[in-house]
Amino acid sequence: MVTAMTKLVKVIIDDREYDFPAGMNLVDAAKQVDVTIPVFCYHPKMKPVGMCRMCLVEVGNIQKDRATGEVLLDDSGNPQIRWMPKLQTACTMNVSDGLVLRSTSKAVDEARRNVVEFLLTSHPLDCPICDKGGECPLQNQTMEYGPGESRMNFEDKKHLDKHVPLGDLIFLDEERCIQCGRCVRFQAEVAGDDVLAFHERGRDLQIITVSDPGFDTYFSGNTTDICPVGALTTTDFRFGARPWEMNSVPTLCNHCPVGCNTSASTRLDRDFGGKTMIKRIMARQNEQVNEIWMCDKGRFGHHFTRSEDRLLQPMVRAAGGSLSRETWADAVAAAAKLLGDANGSVAVIAGPSATNEDLFTLKQLAAGVGSTRLGAWPPTHAGADLVAKVGVGKGTNLSNLGKGDAVLVIATDLEEEAPIWRLRVKTAHDRGAYVVVANARKTRMDDFADAVTMYQTGHAATAFADLRKQHPEVAERLINANNLVVFAGAEGLTLDGSRALMQACANFLIETNHVGRANNGLVGVFPGANAMGQHYLGFSPEATRDIIANPPKVLILAQADVVADDPAAAAWLSKVETVISLSLFDDEATRQAKVVLPVQSFAERDGSYTNGERRVQRFYTAQGPIGEAIPAWQAVARIAEKLGQGKARLSAAQVMNDIVAAIPAFAGCKYSDLAKVEAQFPQVGGDDLYYGGTSYKNTGGLGVQIASAADNGEAVALGDVKADAVKGDLIVVPTVRLYNRERVFQASEAQLMAARVAAPYVEINAEDAARLAIHDGDMVQVSAGAAQPVKVRAHVNGAAPKGTVLLPRNLQQTATALTIAAGTVTKV
Amino acid sequence: MNILRGFATTFKHLLEEPITVQYPEQMRPFRERYKGRHHLRRYENGLEKCIGCALCAAACPADAIWVEAAENTDEQRFSPGERYAKTYEINMLRCIFCGYCEDACPTQAIQLGHEHQLSFTDRQDAIFTKDMLIDPTAIGVAGTPQQVEPGVYTRSIPDMENPR
Amino acid sequence: MKTMNIIYREKDIPNIREYDVYVANGGYDALKKALGQKPTEVIDTVKASNLRGRGGAGFPTGVKWSFIPQSEPIKYVVVNCDESETGTFKDRQIIENNPHQLIEGALIAAYAIQATAVYIYLRGEFWDQAFDLDARIEEARKGGMVGKNIAGSGYNCEVYTHVGAGAYICGEESALLESLEGKLGQPRVRPPFPANKGGGLYGEPTVINNVETLANVPWIITNGPDAFKKIGTEQSAGTKIFCVSGNVEKPANYEVPMGTTIRELLFDLAGGISGGRQIKALLPSGGSGPIIRINGNDDPILDTPCTYEDIAAKTGSILGSASFIVIDETVDITWVASKVTKFFKHESCGKCTPCREGTYWLDKTLDRIMRGEAKESDVDLIANVARNMQGVTLCALGDFAANPIIHTIKNFPEDFKSHIGAAKTPAAPKTAAAAGD
Repeated sequence: MVTAMTKLVKVIIDDREYDFPAGMNLVDAAKQVDVTIPVFCYHPKMKPVGMCRMCLVEVGNIQKDRATGEVLLDDSGNPQIRWMPKLQTACTMNVSDGLVLRSTSKAVDEARRNVVEFLLTSHPLDCPICDKGGECPLQNQTMEYGPGESRMNFEDKKHLDKHVPLGDLIFLDEERCIQCGRCVRFQAEVAGDDVLAFHERGRDLQIITVSDPGFDTYFSGNTTDICPVGALTTTDFRFGARPWEMNSVPTLCNHCPVGCNTSASTRLDRDFGGKTMIKRIMARQNEQVNEIWMCDKGRFGHHFTRSEDRLLQPMVRAAGGSLSRETWADAVAAAAKLLGDANGSVAVIAGPSATNEDLFTLKQLAAGVGSTRLGAWPPTHAGADLVAKVGVGKGTNLSNLGKGDAVLVIATDLEEEAPIWRLRVKTAHDRGAYVVVANARKTRMDDFADAVTMYQTGHAATAFADLRKQHPEVAERLINANNLVVFAGAEGLTLDGSRALMQACANFLIETNHVGRANNGLVGVFPGANAMGQHYLGFSPEATRDIIANPPKVLILAQADVVADDPAAAAWLSKVETVISLSLFDDEATRQAKVVLPVQSFAERDGSYTNGERRVQRFYTAQGPIGEAIPAWQAVARIAEKLGQGKARLSAAQVMNDIVAAIPAFAGCKYSDLAKVEAQFPQVGGDDLYYGGTSYKNTGGLGVQIASAADNGEAVALGDVKADAVKGDLIVVPTVRLYNRERVFQASEAQLMAARVAAPYVEINAEDAARLAIHDGDMVQVSAGAAQPVKVRAHVNGAAPKGTVLLPRNLQQTATALTIAAGTVTKV
Repeated sequence: MNILRGFATTFKHLLEEPITVQYPEQMRPFRERYKGRHHLRRYENGLEKCIGCALCAAACPADAIWVEAAENTDEQRFSPGERYAKTYEINMLRCIFCGYCEDACPTQAIQLGHEHQLSFTDRQDAIFTKDMLIDPTAIGVAGTPQQVEPGVYTRSIPDMENPR
Repeated sequence: MKTMNIIYREKDIPNIREYDVYVANGGYDALKKALGQKPTEVIDTVKASNLRGRGGAGFPTGVKWSFIPQSEPIKYVVVNCDESETGTFKDRQIIENNPHQLIEGALIAAYAIQATAVYIYLRGEFWDQAFDLDARIEEARKGGMVGKNIAGSGYNCEVYTHVGAGAYICGEESALLESLEGKLGQPRVRPPFPANKGGGLYGEPTVINNVETLANVPWIITNGPDAFKKIGTEQSAGTKIFCVSGNVEKPANYEVPMGTTIRELLFDLAGGISGGRQIKALLPSGGSGPIIRINGNDDPILDTPCTYEDIAAKTGSILGSASFIVIDETVDITWVASKVTKFFKHESCGKCTPCREGTYWLDKTLDRIMRGEAKESDVDLIANVARNMQGVTLCALGDFAANPIIHTIKNFPEDFKSHIGAAKTPAAPKTAAAAGD
């Protein structure tokens, strides 16, 4: 990044003079001024290795008089240039004052032609059926720089295995691989999961996976994007379509609070009734959110949108008790009647994938019938209001964290809950940021931490409040950090415990003056894509708790799969007289509902989410409609219209206009504002595949970050930390696994990711296991609080601290404990 | 005088053999390179030449071709390459018989034949599906899919001559 | 003509490999002397001696040492005993028969740059030698010459051995460092250079020297730089070990003063060309250097003195590691080119495109030529492919692999032409030791 602090140096590229910040790589510098230096192995997000030799250029230096420092001139008055005797690899050189670069010359052209020829001698002529054909850097550069024909003998060509599964998700074609090592380096340098390696040497050099199971990482899909040839292909997209047949639609990932910008490649397809179908999802560059990366859950987790379980028609429960298909008009009328007759005893629980528009319309509908009871689902993470106050400052970019900065990750396993944040914290660590991980158990984040502090299960808030006493050296580093970002989750905490922790984090940030500035502040690791949107639009987990405790007459469930999440849901739901369900799926709540309204997933509609860093981002319609499903906001608006609350809006954009007018936080978030795009560095995407690989340029907008209260200069007061802990011999802590059996990810066992979802298990400490006579691999029965006991396999693997068992949520159909509770484990 | 000359011409032609061909009872011979309706060719062993690359669809100026590919397995092998055309359709109402598809095909799978009597009473009938386009197998040769020995077909694109 | 044994002292003193014998014959006195001097004095002495690196590049050793920044607290000396060049077998004899002289030399180098440890990197095939060397290091440790407080001077330095996995490329210094760090043996991007912070072993400044180079150091310290300079020529001081192999009667290592002529070496010491035949060619630096055409035993080129400067100027080749592979009139040079290319194809690390792909295609096409299936244009093709590999790779292996092709075709075009047209069986060499068989 060019900042005011960086020293600028004068460089001559192709006879024109430019200024660049010192230390910039020659390929990047040339790219900035639209001079192409072709590369295969170099990638702007990784360290140069100089392997492919494609970036050879002529480099020289302007000669200066050693004594006076004056530029020496030749006879015709031009500066004397001393050219280096050999061509140099541009990727391994940085700009320096007086450097002269020729990106094209006879020697350079010849060197490039030779390198391309060398690469092609071993590369198969698969282009007609290669998935990369049409968006392939090697193909493009062959056309641009390569020789027209081969001089080698075809029979001598090396034949290798073309169908090597590196893991469940990625295939390697050994013949197509040009040994650039981008994938190996991505895994080691960027993702921090060095599961790929080079094997053998010379022409036998091959990529292999060194993990079991193969390619065991959450980021494997990114390697297919940066692969400059078709060597790495995804199981998902393999032979799905040709690149030129597809349209790319800017969309968002709806699985976690990171809010990765993605691009859906769509095409008409027989498999989807001739409608537009998402054939693949790739990352879309947003340097402030996900750079150019995304995790495999987002990339491959789009199949649920076309699940067989999707609801297709509105349904109303007849007097006899069975659901019958109705027209939208009838279903809307039935819902309106139920709401109108409820006498104000109405409540809404909205799930984490409801968009800002859905939430706002729901809020208005509830207000129209005299209710302000708006619950956020799942009711596990509190403190979104505190994030709104002291959240990361406007303009925050985790990529700017480095030496002198610090990151605290507390009560969350970022690897499982928000993988791209994990990746970005890891790279911040590599740039020199001081990373502290605090949790009651070991997590994957420990691998990338400078300091790990453990606390007793459930005591996150007190542990953090006591940080200065318990770990003064760690606290010192955090306090004195130039910039400090705190990622706080709610693992092993009750809802009150979660609030206490968020308050403790807020207090610490306020006291140490790490609020109201860019790259400083609090990030809540909340579930789902729109937890911050829930907060800004008036939905809270505390309200959910109240709704559960005091059931209303009519409850609207908007994309909240409560029965699958909460073992107590069946009980409290039965106390509600009437349930109106807006759902994607034929789920349990639907089966208890009076009115069922099928709604559209993110794929079939447009809308906006507010991510964990409070960035409002919009997504566009990618996929053809399913059945009669409509966007949730539209269904709600129709009911409101029926109730006489005013005409339904025609588009999500209009709803957003209403939000902007009604809610001050959303000022400046009109769709046209959300769609604005600025130049990003590095300039990845578009047609220049050579530079960053196959990734999509951001044409859908970078989004707008909502200012925190501290950003706005409001004084933010400290709050009381009311710690809350559960007592018991054995405490069951629900944990989150990235790959799980939630309906919005893995709707059926037949789908792609099935093999990657773990079988239900519980992790138990060795001492506890010995006490209970449980061995690793035994089937055990776990009961926690009021929940139905579940039978799962016990893992005695050192992950759980003493007195705690870790029970991942959503690995089985039966709901397991939603929040921490005392429980028992017995062998069966 | 002129009128006589006119009659002379008329009478001269009366004696000549007529050039009118009684189509469709009578057919004129075809030029070898006449471009009629398409055929999807097979290898001698019955496997399909088409590898589902969709380059014909990309080359088609009338957007008349629709291809969807799928992956071959040794248990269910359609073509000797890595993939085959799961769906292959040509909309004959759109087709302008330019032959670009034939030019684009890397395996010479699609070829324009000599049939030209294409008439339809329904737009739907104008869409020729893969079953209609593909050549029948020779007598005694298995059709597709075939079950084959593993390791025989390992190339993404088979060589142009008949595969084993 | 006599050999002069500065390094191969076992020829004069049997059992010098043993610590007691070595010490009884003045061993470790040089180390003690050096420890009594300032480190910079030691560097100056070596600089003044004009000792040049014996690994192949011939870079002045003292100058190399002076590049190490004194301010860095952690520094290393790495001994390159990856001896993998075709026809080179001199270092093995040193570590087998006079190991303490290497250990002493390495420790003097370590003291001169104030290194904290010495790593001796041995090629994977030197498995037994590594165990033996470990035992020798223990002997020296018992004698107080390795470890803490060396010879009572207060200077501490550990000596470790490390066996690679057997790769030519790990003789290249940055690939050696990668391998030593436990990574895949592939050359690094330079700068930073090994002598700089960030470029050496584990990122610390590192001196990497060949075994023979360091084995010279104790003698220089003991006898002074001037005595060393008196041996050999002005630009190439001291003795040099020549590994003579191929079609000679007595293939062996010969340590002689620099400036000895090729004729003296091959005919006086090595007993002449086997079977009294005529010499046809000489590879003075193993497979990686340009081949020298020699028109029989009377060719005046045989009177070239073996020095860095004369070999380069008069034969157009390089002295390199001085592994003289002698080729007589019965050998087909195409076969030599093919043989050497197979070696480089096998040893290319695969990192840079031109070397990885180039060596593969050179080998395939040479096979075609050897089988008599090639056209005349194929000879031009491999010459062109070899030229395209030169000067565009990270390390020198790309150039080394191209050398045998370019120079064999240039010097022996008739041998290549003889394969064009009809199938031929390659002419087998008369001795088994020829051309690295």
